[in-house]
Amino acid sequence: MKSEPAGRLDPRAKTLWRVTGTLGALPLLAGGALVSWVLLRVAELPLLLAVLPFLAAAVWLVALASVLPGLRWRRWHYEIRDDEVDLQRGILWVTRTLVPLARIQHVDTQSGPLQRRFGLATVVFYTAAGANRIPELSAPVAAGARDRIAELTREQDEL
Amino acid sequence: MLIDAIRTIRRSLSAFVIPGVVFLMSRGFDPGTIALVLLGALVVAVLAAFWGFLSWRATTYQVSGGAFHLRRGVVQKNERTIPLDHVQSVDTVQGIIQRLFGVVEVRIETAGGGASEPDASLQALDRAEAEVLRREIEGSRREPVEEEGPTVVRRLGTRDLFLAGATSGQIGVAISLIAVASQLFDDVFSESLAQRLIETLAPRSVTTALLYVLVLGLFAWLLAIGGTVLAYTGFTLSRDGDFLYIRRGLLERREATIPLARIQAVRIVEGLLRQPFGLASLRVESAGYGEDAGVSTTLFPLLPRKEVQALLLDAAPEFAVAPMLNALPRRALRRYVFRSTVPVLVLLAAAGLVSLLAFGFVVWSLAVLPLLLPAAFYGWLRYRDAGWALEEDRLVVGSRLLGRATAIAPRRRLQSRATVQSPFQRRVRLATFEARVASGGGGAELRVTDLASDAADDLAESLGPRT
Repeated sequence: MKSEPAGRLDPRAKTLWRVTGTLGALPLLAGGALVSWVLLRVAELPLLLAVLPFLAAAVWLVALASVLPGLRWRRWHYEIRDDEVDLQRGILWVTRTLVPLARIQHVDTQSGPLQRRFGLATVVFYTAAGANRIPELSAPVAAGARDRIAELTREQDEL
Repeated sequence: MLIDAIRTIRRSLSAFVIPGVVFLMSRGFDPGTIALVLLGALVVAVLAAFWGFLSWRATTYQVSGGAFHLRRGVVQKNERTIPLDHVQSVDTVQGIIQRLFGVVEVRIETAGGGASEPDASLQALDRAEAEVLRREIEGSRREPVEEEGPTVVRRLGTRDLFLAGATSGQIGVAISLIAVASQLFDDVFSESLAQRLIETLAPRSVTTALLYVLVLGLFAWLLAIGGTVLAYTGFTLSRDGDFLYIRRGLLERREATIPLARIQAVRIVEGLLRQPFGLASLRVESAGYGEDAGVSTTLFPLLPRKEVQALLLDAAPEFAVAPMLNALPRRALRRYVFRSTVPVLVLLAAAGLVSLLAFGFVVWSLAVLPLLLPAAFYGWLRYRDAGWALEEDRLVVGSRLLGRATAIAPRRRLQSRATVQSPFQRRVRLATFEARVASGGGGAELRVTDLASDAADDLAESLGPRT
C-alpha cells in the first residue's frame, strides 16, 4: 500500500482528548467507587480485594488523561489525495481506510462546544455506506479540507 | 372504496375489542351487557365505514410534469409530490382482503424514505391500473428498447419450495414463536386449567420428556416450512431490460422491483442444512431498498449451487463470476481455531469456578471439555471456507458463520476499503480486510479475516479508483 498518509491532526487535539477523556471517565470512577464500597461494606470482602474496581477505574482515568491521547494522536494520520481520502487510526488495532472521492456524497464540518473552545472542528464525509470522519483539525484547516473534498468530488463526478 | 372501509372498520374494531372485553368482564355476562357491547361495535363499524368512504373519496393521484402527485386526507388535506427521478421502486402487495376483491396495493419508495413505511401507498388499485401506473413511473427511466415485457428467469417449483422450508434452519425462530405462544396461553387461561393441563401433560419419565422435545422440534420444523410456503409460494424472478421483478407469496402476494443499477452486491448463501445437498440461496444488497438499513433482499430462495452461475448470467451478469478463491495462509489457522475455542475456554473457567464454589472441587468442570473438539473443528471450517479473489474488477469474498457465504461486489460499488491489524496479527504478518457496500439505509460489509498483511494492502490498493 502507499506510504503512511502525511497529514496530522491539530496538536491541540491531545489536550481536548485529555479533557473529554477525563470527563467521560468520571461516571466510571464513581461507579467503581460505588462497587468498591458495596464490596467492602455489604459483601465484607478484605480491603485489598474490594478496592480493585475503584483502582481499575482510576488507572483507566489516569491513562485517558495522560498517555492515551498522545498515542492516539501519534497514530492518527490522514491525507486527501486526488482520487481518495486516506485515513489511519487506532492505538492497538490499527485501521487504515481508503474512501474514493467519487463515492462521497456530501461533506460537513462539525464542532461541539468544547471543540470550539479549542478552535477545533471535525470533518465528516458521507458515502452511501455510512460516514467517515477526520476529527480535531484546527477550524480553518477543517474548512479547507471540507472545501477540497467537495471540490475534488465534483471533479470526479464530471469525469 | 370497499377496501378503505374494511381497513378502517378492522382497525377501529380491533381498537374497540379490548375496552369492550374489559367492559364485559367488569359487568358480567348478562344478555343486556352483551347487547350493549354489540351495539357499540356496530356503531363503531358504521362510523368507520363512513370514514373509510370519506378517505377513499379524498384520495387521488396522478402522474404529471415528471412527478407523482398524491392527495389525501379528509380533515387535514395532504398533498405529496415525488419527482419520478427519485422513485426507487414501485412494489405491489396483495393482502388477503385485497385478493378477495381482485385489487392490489401499490407502494412507492424513494431513496430517502423511512425504513418502515412506504413514501406513498395506494391501498386499492385494480391490476391494470396498477400496471399502467408502474409503466408511467418507470417509463420515465427506462430506455424504450424492449417492449415485449419481462422474461422469466427462474420459477421456484413446489418440490423446491418445500425443500427450502425444510432446510431453512429457521427452526430456532419457530421454537421461540412457540415459546411466546405458550406464554400467551399461560396468560389467557386460568390458573386451575393450566394446573390441570400440566398435571396431565407433565413428563413422567425421561422417555416422555425426550418425546416432548422431539414433538416440539417436529412442530417447529413444520412451522418453519409453513412460514416459507407462505412467503415464497410462486416465487418468480423475471427480468425486463434493466429491471428485475420478484413475485411471491401464497396469501399475501408481493411484487417487487429491483433496478439492476441499484444492486451493490450479491451473496450466495449455502446454509448448514443445504450445503450437504449442494443447495444455495441468493441474496442481493441493494441501495436504498429493503425493509431496513443493511437488510438484503432474497433474489432466489433455493437453487442448486451449480446453477447459481447460470442464473446470475441471466439476471445480473455483472455479478456472474466464479473464480477459485485465494486461501488464507497456514498461520491464520491457529488464530481461527483460537477464536472459536475461546468461548469454550471461558466456559471451562466459569464452570471450574462454579463447581469449586458449589462442590469444593474442580473436576465437574471437565464436563465442558468434550466441547473443545467441535469448537476447534468449527474454527477449522471457518478457516477453510474463508478466502478472496479479484476477477475482472470484481471482489469475491468467501466466509462462513453458520452457512457458507460467497459475496460478490464490483469494484465501482465499493464505498470504502479498510485494513485492520491487531497487535497479535501484526506479530504474524496477518491483517483483516473490509470493504463496504451500500445496502438499505446503511452499509454492508465484505470481510476477510486474517489474510497475509501484504495481500490485504495489495487488495486495498488494487480496488482503488483507476486514474
